[in-house]
Amino acid sequence: MSYRIVTNNPSVRESYNSNNIIFIDGSYEDVLIKVRDLVHSGVELIDSPLGASIRMLLSPYRSILVGTERQAMNMDQILIIEQSILNYRTLTQRRKAEPEHANDYAVVDKELLKASIQAYEDMNCPTHSKFTGGEFLETRA
Amino acid sequence: MSNPFKVLYYVNQFFGQVGGEEKAGIEPFYKEEKIGPAAGFEALLEGEGTVVGTLVCGDNYFNEHNKEAFTFIMDTIKAVKPDLVVTGPAFNAGRYGMACGEIAAKVTEELGIPTLSGMYKENPGLDTCVSKVIVVSTPDSAAGMRTALPTMAKIARKLAKGEELGAPEAEGYIPQGRRLTVFSDKRGSKRAVEMLLARLNDQAFETELPMPQFDRVDPAAAIKDLSKATIALVTSGGIVPFGNPDRIQSASAQKWGKYNIAAAAALKGAYYTIHGGYDPVYANETPDRVAPLDVMKTLEKEGVIGKVYDYFYTTTGTGTAVGNSMKFGTEIGAELKAAGVDGVILTST
Amino acid sequence: MKLELRKIQIKDVVFGEKMEVNGGVLSINKDQLVAKLMEDHRVKEIKVDLAKPGEKTRIIPVKDCIEPRVKIEGEGKGFPGVTGKMVPLGDGKVNVLDGAAVVTIGDIVGFQEGVVDMWGEGAKWTPFSKTFNIVVDIIPVEGLEPHVHEETVRIAGLKAAEVIGEAGRYAEPTHVEVFEMGNHAEESAKYPNLPKVLYVEMLISQGLLHDGYIYGVNSQKILPTLIHPNEELDGAVISGNCVAACDKITTYQHQNNSAILDLYAEHGKTINFLGVILTPELTTLEGKFRTCDYTAKLCTMMGADGVIVSEEGYGNPDSDLLMICKRLEKNGIKTVLITDECSGWDGMSQPLADTTKEAVAVVSAGNVSHVVTLEPADRVIGSAKAISTLAGGWDGSLSEDGSIKCELNAVIGATSEIGYHNCTVKLY
Repeated sequence: MSYRIVTNNPSVRESYNSNNIIFIDGSYEDVLIKVRDLVHSGVELIDSPLGASIRMLLSPYRSILVGTERQAMNMDQILIIEQSILNYRTLTQRRKAEPEHANDYAVVDKELLKASIQAYEDMNCPTHSKFTGGEFLETRA
Repeated sequence: MSNPFKVLYYVNQFFGQVGGEEKAGIEPFYKEEKIGPAAGFEALLEGEGTVVGTLVCGDNYFNEHNKEAFTFIMDTIKAVKPDLVVTGPAFNAGRYGMACGEIAAKVTEELGIPTLSGMYKENPGLDTCVSKVIVVSTPDSAAGMRTALPTMAKIARKLAKGEELGAPEAEGYIPQGRRLTVFSDKRGSKRAVEMLLARLNDQAFETELPMPQFDRVDPAAAIKDLSKATIALVTSGGIVPFGNPDRIQSASAQKWGKYNIAAAAALKGAYYTIHGGYDPVYANETPDRVAPLDVMKTLEKEGVIGKVYDYFYTTTGTGTAVGNSMKFGTEIGAELKAAGVDGVILTST
Repeated sequence: MKLELRKIQIKDVVFGEKMEVNGGVLSINKDQLVAKLMEDHRVKEIKVDLAKPGEKTRIIPVKDCIEPRVKIEGEGKGFPGVTGKMVPLGDGKVNVLDGAAVVTIGDIVGFQEGVVDMWGEGAKWTPFSKTFNIVVDIIPVEGLEPHVHEETVRIAGLKAAEVIGEAGRYAEPTHVEVFEMGNHAEESAKYPNLPKVLYVEMLISQGLLHDGYIYGVNSQKILPTLIHPNEELDGAVISGNCVAACDKITTYQHQNNSAILDLYAEHGKTINFLGVILTPELTTLEGKFRTCDYTAKLCTMMGADGVIVSEEGYGNPDSDLLMICKRLEKNGIKTVLITDECSGWDGMSQPLADTTKEAVAVVSAGNVSHVVTLEPADRVIGSAKAISTLAGGWDGSLSEDGSIKCELNAVIGATSEIGYHNCTVKLY
């Protein structure tokens, strides 16, 4: 059980042991940024930072699994999280918040997190991942 | 038919029939005449439009006195109130292309007047304007005027009448980088099967989603002993000696400079910035903020690095074409390698 | 395996006394249908409406679309493993109500989109504007847990398709399509010189509202799996995907998977079509690593010369798509990818969430952020609130005359990544 959950979803915070939670009092983007900071400092990125549907990208809540200890920096994971932040901004430009759906998003986010945790536990991976994705876009500031 | 639309035409000193390279520093002027390609352009409009006047400016003046040039140009255009502004064609001329691109982009952005230009696809000026301006694709030399001008005229008539343009290949302009969703006559899976068959039979095919190409260079091996290494300072931050003796451009650099800093303890006091891409105040105060010679000299004194290389290399990064950047890198790299330099601090902005 | 899809052309759909097809007109006994679906005690109420092509009708939010069919010869009733006993699919004779679709609505969560316009601008962007739609609104009992709610709606939709499919049992088909293939050894002996081609179908497999099922098995739990194309055409794969309107593979699109159909059409002529590999799109990075390696290995083991890879969803699945591509190309297997893109409102942003230089042959199904204007509808089947979700996304999207500007990602099937629809992207 060596994972932590970076999340801004209050219902996730209530459902899991506080030792495993890094709670962010902020937005989806703030969660991504915290994950980025952790990955830069060598914490393993377990989950993909972005979801798999455009709808969930518009969710105000996001929960992402990261590892517990600090290990060597993993360049590929750094690229993934940095790129995810850029993609997130492109997709959500000009979209307004939908406070009336906040609860529903919280529920789905929690369920997706449950599935992620299940997948992680099924895998029993002790060491950090050697994930190599595609080649990521250079950051154009 | 309604009144012919009014075109204002912009050319440089050469196409403006003032002179060649020696006249590249002339200030902008405006004449209510059709100078250079403007005359031929008007003829090709077949009566639908007229060129009411020509703006001429020296390429060097435009690049080195950008603000003043623009003041004149924009004031002129505001007074003339044309329906369309045409710049170039610049073919592959870099400084001319930069001017054509910047002017067209600014006119369209700030005055809302449609603009049109013409360039060779590798002209560095393309990047300054392609997403906002229609740029006709031309050959790389002025010999291509015969083909460029008719295409520009044809598109000009459409732009002035507010007609929609067709696809870039059909109309003859350089794609602006806009990916537009349209309907195909075949469904996606059919197109995929046909693409796969083409690949399996070694036939030509065209991808619908080109992947960006990255130029990956393998890093050199790490320096084993920094205290014995010679480190050079190179920057694309546009830091040059006072007066910019080598006339390095503020944007779209065509050259790099090399200056002896063996005796200097810092760049401050003798260097400033000519980079057109950032607010210069702090860099002018202390150019070492951009190219940290002061710190390098300190590290040298402390023995952390062996030696700071005698020469400092500089150029401007903003708007500089990839092709030129690769050329500069190769040239500077060759000099540094020949001089036995072990490592480089390369700063950019 | 030999599967005969006997297409009965549906020209109209009406409510009537009987469940039958007569002269191309599908008649549905509404009470009978409702009674059947109400047998599930989790269902509180069922509403059934009809929507025909050309009517100024809007259906929103659409959960799934299913083709009504009935197997008249061979094993398999309904959807084996889900609504019926487990039997292997892919053989037999099936009567298909061609041109009709069961469309389920009823949001499990309030933010679901998924619009089908039966006329006008919106109709161009969805394939379901051309089908005669039997719209089934499933209202569950109160207090159901989200997973159970989703399952209830899913099963009800499948059952509705089964019940309505029965209407076609005795009708004569307009035309018959035969899908027949021997085993690999037999086919390769018949066509020794044809290039071997596999189809890798990626399925979203990430949890609630983002699921897929193969013979009822949730795809989150599987390793990449070889399946016979006939099985998918016969209903072995169904959708549990409720949110990615534009690029989710509806059950209808599994039953009529265009990539499978187009590859099958070439089998024995220009290619030796070896079959389909179903690949789950997982959330964890290690999971992706495992899945993509395994998929590439299956393709290599089977001696494929070329592979078409399709995606479902946008975001993290882009990585899987490109990882599979990279591995296949490195093994000397030629790939073509089908995906949608997100180039922003103006089409100027970088289109994919990930890139790889090996992806030299890509079919783009469209820009999910492309803005379309939907005219005001005369009738809305479903939730008017869902329209405000569609429209409420950003400023100025709902105009005074009632027309809505929405992104393509809210339209069902618009940017289908199995290439079902005919959108593409051109550089301007």
